[in-house]
Amino acid sequence: MSSPSHPPILEAIEISKSYGARLAVDNLSLAVKPGAVAGLLGPNGAGKTTTLSILSTLMRPDSGRVLIDGKPPKSDPRVLGRMLGLVPQSLALYPTLSARQNVWHFARMQGLARVAAREACARVLDEVGLTERADDPAHSFSGGMKRRLNLACGIVHRPAVLMLDEPTVGVDPQSREQILTLVRRNAEAGAAVIYSTHYMEEAERICDRVLLIDRGKLVADGTVEQLVALGGGRPRLELTYRGSLPERWIDYLTDVHEIAQATGEGQLALEMNSLAQVPQVLHQLRAANINVLDFTIHSPNLADAFIALTGRSLRDNV
Amino acid sequence: MLRAIWLTIQNEARLLIKDPIVLFMLLFAPVVIITVAGYSLGAVYGGAGSSFRLPVVNHDRGEVADGIVDALRQQQSIEVELLDDSDAARRLVSHRDRTPIAIEIPAGTTEAVSSGQDPHLILFVDPVRRLEVGALELHINELCRKVSLQARATAQKRLEEADAELRANLRRLATETAKEQSQFQSKAAAGQAAIQASIRARIAAALQQLAVETSATLKTRQAEAWSDVQGQLAEREAILRKLQNYLLQLQVSQRAFEDWLAKLKTLAGSHASDIPPPPEFPTPPAADDLAALSKPIIPPKIDSTLPTPSPEAFAVKIPKPPAIGDAGLAAELGQFEEMRAPILPGYLTFVERPAIEGESTVVNAFDQYVPGFGITFLLIGMMLGIALTLFDERDWGTLRRLRVSGAPLTGLLFGKLIARFIVGIVQMVLLFAVGWLLFGISLGRYPLALLIPTIGISFASAALGLVIASIARAHDSVMPFGVTLSMSIAAIGGCWWPLDFEPDWMRMLARFAPTTWTMQSFNDLMIRNRPPSAALWPLAATVGLGMLFLVAGLIRFATLED
Repeated sequence: MSSPSHPPILEAIEISKSYGARLAVDNLSLAVKPGAVAGLLGPNGAGKTTTLSILSTLMRPDSGRVLIDGKPPKSDPRVLGRMLGLVPQSLALYPTLSARQNVWHFARMQGLARVAAREACARVLDEVGLTERADDPAHSFSGGMKRRLNLACGIVHRPAVLMLDEPTVGVDPQSREQILTLVRRNAEAGAAVIYSTHYMEEAERICDRVLLIDRGKLVADGTVEQLVALGGGRPRLELTYRGSLPERWIDYLTDVHEIAQATGEGQLALEMNSLAQVPQVLHQLRAANINVLDFTIHSPNLADAFIALTGRSLRDNV
Repeated sequence: MLRAIWLTIQNEARLLIKDPIVLFMLLFAPVVIITVAGYSLGAVYGGAGSSFRLPVVNHDRGEVADGIVDALRQQQSIEVELLDDSDAARRLVSHRDRTPIAIEIPAGTTEAVSSGQDPHLILFVDPVRRLEVGALELHINELCRKVSLQARATAQKRLEEADAELRANLRRLATETAKEQSQFQSKAAAGQAAIQASIRARIAAALQQLAVETSATLKTRQAEAWSDVQGQLAEREAILRKLQNYLLQLQVSQRAFEDWLAKLKTLAGSHASDIPPPPEFPTPPAADDLAALSKPIIPPKIDSTLPTPSPEAFAVKIPKPPAIGDAGLAAELGQFEEMRAPILPGYLTFVERPAIEGESTVVNAFDQYVPGFGITFLLIGMMLGIALTLFDERDWGTLRRLRVSGAPLTGLLFGKLIARFIVGIVQMVLLFAVGWLLFGISLGRYPLALLIPTIGISFASAALGLVIASIARAHDSVMPFGVTLSMSIAAIGGCWWPLDFEPDWMRMLARFAPTTWTMQSFNDLMIRNRPPSAALWPLAATVGLGMLFLVAGLIRFATLED
């Protein structure tokens, strides 16, 4: 967790970027303090990758500015660059080199001396669980292993600012777990982490703050709880049943409403004030001779907040 | 920057080692292509080339025909097959493999050559195999030239022998003539001397006789004259004596007068002084003088001996006998000696000499193909290698990650270029080593100097690779674009054939290709054995072009990355 008194190590101040007529990032500002994990949450095409490119100095914004440790990146690119660690969405590895050689090269390029680089390689390969395959070429790895190696290359030099662009896309659950654990561990070690994802669950799990982005604009910025509350979402019960629902059956239930757009043939979606009302709903249906085949309880989350705030689903374009 | 360059070089080395295809392209493929090209196109540079079976129909069977056949048999690349039938020879050309040409030597060829005519050989050729026919025709043309030269030399030799014999006869004749002439001159001189001696003797005798007679006459006349003179002298002697006596009497009279005068004076006493002095008597001649008058006159002795005139004064010049035409003959012989025997008109030909003393005019085809194809594969390897590795870095995302590290883009690019630059140099060194070991190529007088053009072309190729990486729009377009560019530059720069084969406009264009200057350097150093300084100007041109490529590539690539 970041210290409230610590100044942000990474700041973006009113940055904008266009690709021709399309505005990819629109006057976006953010700041990340050491030890904090800030999630960039938005659907594909929301501008997350462009934002990360600007933050990582790979791309110059059309307007606005970026400060790393309070300084513009151009003021001391070598020193400030070594404070950054980027784990890009697409793999950034040398396929023919071994895992160790990949990590070694990036460690050295990030300024580590030979001895320190050797130690860092061993440490990070162990952290991502690739010690046994350290000398195998990267192209021989599974997708999950490549993702872990990709992460290892980004954190081998213990960056002060770690930027991850959807690092778990297409990975197996085990690798995903390892990646998320490592991200959290880096934050706990003091790194400021910016975690770009369209997986709401990941943001809810590891992010101290979430920045909801849509069409390049920052829609909302806050903790998960704050954003969920901001979205005004209520618990939902979605169920599949057999039988014929009597008219006005729901009148017997207080503060329970049917959600029209969620229903279909033999399906029912209900919104309520509290999850504690679920047993009452099920009891009422049984009393009406409705055979409930299946049901799902849905708590309000970031996706709901996003929908509420933007009118679009987080996975519209997935 | 330097750290980024160094680390990038190391990483490039790791990537190369892990890529067997690249190693294959760098080393094995060039050696295979060089071997094939060197053996296939060796004849272009005067190599042995292929072996041919050559049907020969000898209708002449004379000295000239035999000479042609023997000479053909001495050609390593030709296997002579003697036939009796021209049709059979034609059939072989038409149907059998490895027989692109056949020769018919017509009857009477030898006689025609001997008699100064211009006979022709008949060649049956396969028009489809024009290149081989051309090569063989060059051989045959050379043989015909040699045969003609030999016949001409024989005729000239015979002519000179006849000339020498004629000169010997003339010299002998001249010698004998001179001898006869000399004998004649000797005899004529002897005769002339004898005649002159005889004439001299006769004259001397006549003169002697004349002298005797003259002397006698003179003596007689002298005696007669003397007798006459003595008579006259006797008369005058008598007169003189009288005169002498007179004088003596006069002297006596003088003395008597003086006595008289003395007595007179005595007598005059005091008046003596008044007596005037008597006149002085002249002094009489001395007695001796007077006595001499009385001496008899002795007639002078007259030498009646007459001088004997020299016979030489009366010598008769006898003209020499005329020479018997010796001057004309000698002059003509002298002129003849100066004249050369008639010489047959020369046969204009040529002899190859190396431009540099002591070097060979024959070139090992691999001296051209090892550097030529080495450069070609260097270009392909460097241009494609650098372009593809940069695209790989983009595609793999590693370039983005490296740029985040703060490493300058130019450092990363320079690292890759330098790594490939070193690889290019190593590649060329290995190819030259293989060429030297397998094909015996010349490394020139200064093998280390070959590094000069190698460095230049490696640099320019690396820079061109950067240009391609910055121009090609996608990974897949690198290959066709890079291969086309590298092949074109290699071809136009004289890597595959001599630059002189190209038309003027292409040679002008070639000045802007680094391969042109590099091949010029390799040819200078390896074939012409020039010193390293000869490679400096081409190096400057190559590096200059490379710098242009480098700057253009850097600007373009940096713009794209931004």
